[in-house]
Amino acid sequence: MGERALIVVFLRGAADGLTLVPPVGDDDYHRARPTLAVHAKQGLKLDGFFALHPLLAPLQPRFEAGELSIVHACGSQDDTRSHFYAQDLMERAGVSVSGGWLGRFLRAQLEAEGGGFTGGALDALSVGTAVCESLRGAPTVTAMESLSDLGGGAAMGRLRQRLGCLYESDQLLGAPARSALDASARLAQLEDQGEPPRHGAIYPSAATDGDVAQHFGVRMRLVARLIHGGLGLRAACVDIEGWDSHFVQSSLLEPQLRALGSGLAAFARDLGPRLADTSVVVMTEFGRRVGENASLGTDHGRGGAMFVLGGGTRGGVHCRWPSLRAEALDGPGDLPVVHDYRDVLAGVLARHGAVDLARVFPDCTLAPMDV
Amino acid sequence: MNHTRRQLLAGGIGLFSLASCSRDELWSAIAPGETPASLVPPANAELDLASHVLLRTSFGIRPGDREELSTLAPTMEAAVDAWLAAQLAPEAIDDSACEHALRRFETLREPIGELFEYRERVLRRDLVGATLQRAVMTRHQLREVMCHFWSDHFNIDISKGECAWLKTADDREVVRRHALGRFEDLLRASAKSPAMLWYLDGRVNQKSTPTDKPNENYARELLELHTLGVDGGYSQRDVMKVARCLTGWTVRDRKGFFKGRVEFRRELHDDGEKLVLGERIASGGGEQDLERVIAIVAAHPSTARHLARKLCRRFLSDDATGLDEVASAFTNSRGDIAATLAALFAHPAFRDPQLRGAKLKRPFHFVASCLRATDAKSDCGPALIEYLERMGQAPFQHPTPDGYPEHAAAWTGTLLWRWRFAAVLASGEIAGTRIEAAALSQRLDGAAGTLAQLLGRAPDAAELEAANAAGEDALALALASPAFQRC
Repeated sequence: MGERALIVVFLRGAADGLTLVPPVGDDDYHRARPTLAVHAKQGLKLDGFFALHPLLAPLQPRFEAGELSIVHACGSQDDTRSHFYAQDLMERAGVSVSGGWLGRFLRAQLEAEGGGFTGGALDALSVGTAVCESLRGAPTVTAMESLSDLGGGAAMGRLRQRLGCLYESDQLLGAPARSALDASARLAQLEDQGEPPRHGAIYPSAATDGDVAQHFGVRMRLVARLIHGGLGLRAACVDIEGWDSHFVQSSLLEPQLRALGSGLAAFARDLGPRLADTSVVVMTEFGRRVGENASLGTDHGRGGAMFVLGGGTRGGVHCRWPSLRAEALDGPGDLPVVHDYRDVLAGVLARHGAVDLARVFPDCTLAPMDV
Repeated sequence: MNHTRRQLLAGGIGLFSLASCSRDELWSAIAPGETPASLVPPANAELDLASHVLLRTSFGIRPGDREELSTLAPTMEAAVDAWLAAQLAPEAIDDSACEHALRRFETLREPIGELFEYRERVLRRDLVGATLQRAVMTRHQLREVMCHFWSDHFNIDISKGECAWLKTADDREVVRRHALGRFEDLLRASAKSPAMLWYLDGRVNQKSTPTDKPNENYARELLELHTLGVDGGYSQRDVMKVARCLTGWTVRDRKGFFKGRVEFRRELHDDGEKLVLGERIASGGGEQDLERVIAIVAAHPSTARHLARKLCRRFLSDDATGLDEVASAFTNSRGDIAATLAALFAHPAFRDPQLRGAKLKRPFHFVASCLRATDAKSDCGPALIEYLERMGQAPFQHPTPDGYPEHAAAWTGTLLWRWRFAAVLASGEIAGTRIEAAALSQRLDGAAGTLAQLLGRAPDAAELEAANAAGEDALALALASPAFQRC
């Protein structure tokens, strides 16, 4: 039942890959980060060399079950260290391209399926008030923050019935109107039901996990409800802002990590068996400097970490680790980009039946990673 | 207004008078202008010629439009002719209210080099907002419709490369300047437009060593989309030759001085002899090669046919074949766009009652027509633009060079958002946009009159029944109705 859905969680502000997935087995890591390093004993064991940050503990069972893959030392080939430019570049996945990578993917899929430009109303979702760059150029994109944005509202409820009568006999618009009315009714129904999360999932609350976590949880829950509702969701983008940790990194990142760990874990649990055909990709514009700065933070760097959860991922950590010795570092002391983020995305898209990866990522020679 | 003012006072902002004054100024700047106090809703059961022409050649019927048109001549036929003639030579129509409203969008007037001082998002907000503001407010409606037509024909997606900075100038100096002028001038301006040089990679089309291969992207779209059309009788060889003629035209990027400046660099130009569509372009032509290419393709008979077909699909019906009379008018007038349109509008097919109301408004047209129909005041800000993005037709954001599709099938998936838009507009939930539904209904003598005004004809029994039953939702229902989606 339903489509395969791809959920992209973008960590805005350049999340520190060396904190998300610390290379606890690399001595240079501990030397470069005397106060900020995650110690081998604190880190949650992944493969012995890499560990998971303790606040991401809710994700560890998924890693052990082989449902979570991690790619390290990955990112963009462009060496800009501007957030704004790097995010745009990554979401468009190229310089001389139009639209975003998800938008191009969805358009190519619909055209291949003979649907032309007419996607379903809820094929693509940007969770928030505006359409994110990655989804630009998709046949249809819906930006919404809650079910009531589109489905509900008393006025829409009252209109639905009357619109049904007016459109019924319309030759051109009758069928699309029926499908739109159906989607609208199902959204309203989902909204009214107030059904609890499935499979005993508990989304983070502000009281126990903080505001960032609650906010992210609400957004992920919306995505889960649309998937359960069978509304044909194929792609969704969700952001977590606030990863730019120049100052006092450990306290700044604590609520962020809590949000990511508890929110994703609740989402995975909520989906239950649907996790097998739902991929979640976690990405960020670039990683952070290896050495910590004088204000107990880290500055803009290059390579970072990506997560792929569910959707038939292979599990495990995937990385040709370049080491953190000074001579291995990039520019002012950054983890180099060994794996192009597009190769990771291409591998995921292949599992989503991508018909034309060269069209999605036209600006590079792809070597899709099977992660 | 009081509401805003109260909020400011409650917020304890010391500058409240200044703030509320500028807010007042904003609302007055975007007021749609004078319309008659009492209106006569159309009484015909079918769309009459006046409604048809207004629906097809403008962004929707505003209250008062029909009345204004009818004063131009004693018969409807003659009044429509007079209206179209005036719209085809719009310089004589005073448009100061719209110009005044557009002054808020500062970046529109910036010279090209200065545009790089702004962030992409600011430029996008201004350009897209101003585009909607114009569609809603301008009295040069037909010219505006043609600006949209050419923006699709010469599509540029502002998300590519430096187009975000350069499209503002392209819109001003290419599309708007020539929208009703000569096609060849429009084409030449587009070929040398920095935004187009970025969008279709003309800037990297160069030959500095004998083995360099030209970049054919622009040359191909020039023939396939901008001029001859895909079946226009050109070959791959012609594409390559055109690309060679255009080598060396490049644009300075934002990393150095003279950002956005277009330059012809002779050392990157392939100065050999070329044969383009059977015409010989002698070696050593340098930058004149571009002029020759533009002249050859603009005057090609396939270009006249291709443009006639596209214009007929825009103004007659989705599956229209190009009328010979329109192609001939294009050729005989040497590509005069206004003369070509005049031939189309004079053709009996344009007035065929069978084709009235047969086209689906695209989302941008729909949104603009909702605002026009309700006499809305809108700042055309982000809250409103969001709906265009959600319906998939925010201006200048179509990814492929063919422009937003014209045919209805491409847009039937947008109903849900159209309905939602109708509901939030009618209930005044869009920040920066407001309508006075009660006053409108009063001027139009109730729900039936409002419905007739919106649809351009008297409502049928089902529409009337639905509107009466909808009570306070009548306006939303009318905007969401199948008839209002059409033009």
